[in-house]
Amino acid sequence: MAGPSGDRLIRVDMTDQSVEIVPLPDEWKLLGGRGLSAKILLKECDPACDALGPDNVLVMAPGVLAGTSAPTSGRISIGAKSPLTNGIKEANAGGNPGQDLNKLGYRAIIVTGKPRDASKTFGLDVTAEGASVVENSGARGLWNYALIDYLAQSYSDKASFISIGPAGEMQLKGASVACTDQEARRPARHAARGGLGAVMGSKGLKYVSIEAGKAKARQPANRKEFAELSKRYTKDYLAGPLMFKWGTSSVTGVANMLNTFPYKNRTAGQSPDVETLDGKNIVESFETRGGGMHNCLTGCIVQCSNIVHDAEGNYKTSALEFETITLLGANCAIASWEDVADLDRLCDELGLDTIETGAAIAIYMDSGGMEFGDADGAKNLLKEIAEGTELGKAIGNGADAIGKRTKHHRVPTVRGQALPAWDPRPLKATGLTYAAGPMGGDHTAGLIVNPGLPQEEWVRKSQEIQMVNAVCDSSGFCQFVQPTLDDIRSFYSALYGEEVSREQIADQAWQILADEWEFNRRAGFTKDDPMPDCIKKDPIGPANMVWDVPQELVSQVYERLESSEELFITKAAG
Amino acid sequence: MPEIRVPPPYRGPTQGLATVEVQGSTVRECIAAVEARHPGFAAQVFDSGGQLHGYVTLFVNGEEIGRDAVDSAVGAGDVVEILAAIAGG
Repeated sequence: MAGPSGDRLIRVDMTDQSVEIVPLPDEWKLLGGRGLSAKILLKECDPACDALGPDNVLVMAPGVLAGTSAPTSGRISIGAKSPLTNGIKEANAGGNPGQDLNKLGYRAIIVTGKPRDASKTFGLDVTAEGASVVENSGARGLWNYALIDYLAQSYSDKASFISIGPAGEMQLKGASVACTDQEARRPARHAARGGLGAVMGSKGLKYVSIEAGKAKARQPANRKEFAELSKRYTKDYLAGPLMFKWGTSSVTGVANMLNTFPYKNRTAGQSPDVETLDGKNIVESFETRGGGMHNCLTGCIVQCSNIVHDAEGNYKTSALEFETITLLGANCAIASWEDVADLDRLCDELGLDTIETGAAIAIYMDSGGMEFGDADGAKNLLKEIAEGTELGKAIGNGADAIGKRTKHHRVPTVRGQALPAWDPRPLKATGLTYAAGPMGGDHTAGLIVNPGLPQEEWVRKSQEIQMVNAVCDSSGFCQFVQPTLDDIRSFYSALYGEEVSREQIADQAWQILADEWEFNRRAGFTKDDPMPDCIKKDPIGPANMVWDVPQELVSQVYERLESSEELFITKAAG
Repeated sequence: MPEIRVPPPYRGPTQGLATVEVQGSTVRECIAAVEARHPGFAAQVFDSGGQLHGYVTLFVNGEEIGRDAVDSAVGAGDVVEILAAIAGG
């Protein structure tokens, strides 16, 4: 058997809403997700273009293994030139659209152009028979949950959706792209970072529907070997410590211990509200309120996603995670996890990155625009975004935008993108990922939580985890199932019946980064240290930590080191 | 001697050491022994009342031990492991 064949790309030109379906180039068959997005963008998108203009290219690419029986392998990447950073951006999400697209043999949707009539709203329907753009004025302006309810009336109960909320339609730079989860099809899985929802909105595209129908799982060339790999991987994972069984919300305690639970616009690394924001409160609520843990995509063995109910036992939100609890909670000095749950729901409805939005609100609070801890005020700010007020739009446009509007001196962004919870001051190696990595201030690009790591190892560790995560985000695997490069190449080898060597997978990993760095170079990025002044000057923790990593180390991240054994056995981490 | 395996997030006080061999006849004593050598370590494991932090899970020889089993006996060759779930999310 040859493995999956006949895969295609869906090309959509929103200028005239035309669709063309073309074969996937054979040399791209081991590229998916982030790697495929980077390849397409470098080839087809002018890095100097206006990110919200017709020349930007929006890519939606499932991982290579999506749609197979490999455990927790169905993720999708959304990529484009980011309107927030003006560099290349990839954001990765769970839910079912990734595997549905791959089961139909569509390895990417590539959207170009911009409708001539900006008052029109469109959807893209994808089926086994093909794809077509449809005008759908009824979808215009709908919040994400209402949108899915509306679409459910017109599509089968098995359809999955990719969508934007009003924030994306308004082309706000903090806008996310939502994917529906399995089961109830909640639009709760967001490709959040980098404002890609604004790019989708700029193309007049409100949603993508995918009707996989009776499409079967993708069949590998070596079925027996692939099945054994999947079985063994699953058995080993389930026999292990199951680190994410309660989700990432219970990471708050450790993060606080390490002074990376930012408080009051990152002026402190520990929060006095760590107990009331601890994810254990969410877990305890399951007993009396219902909800619980679940898997966001079919075939996931990790089940790290929570379904959170309110005090009356009604559904409130899903995927209330560590970063959201930190940026919308601790960073804004909002002490109640329940208020953070409300804010999370609002962000999901409007289609906003909770990290960028939380950072923006904290800057607004720090500038004196609102009191720290004012949860109702924060909720009203989000409602102002929906109303399109000038203040709302500034918040929706992210941390830099509100920083400029308020002329505030403390704006913790890297290349225009808000820093996540994992702070570079105590986590210097992670800071190198932010400073030199093509994704900028994005922990999912390569997280290293090892405060004792000697300085001479920082560059290697940052480079290695960036390479591992780049391939993980190309593969369809979720970072939380923690595959290594050796794991991924084993699955690829069985998928296509062709041995993928360590050298090949390492080269692929480096090439993804190289493609992205080249895009950024052409977009005008330099290799200078982009860490903001407040992170260099404002100390946190008892050791008064600041970002003081020499520029020389930042520069070294760009130079490929000889592959070590560690590279192939390091687990993905983000 | 028992061995304490230190996960990456906890290696600040141990200056990057991933394993520490110590003298101790219980899990608690072993952690105290690490503390004596690497000040600041124990506070990552126990709260001010001497209870395990809520986010800490301990394993002995690969088996999770209960939160009230910190005073259980260990001996030569035993491996005490601290689990720290770290992820972005």
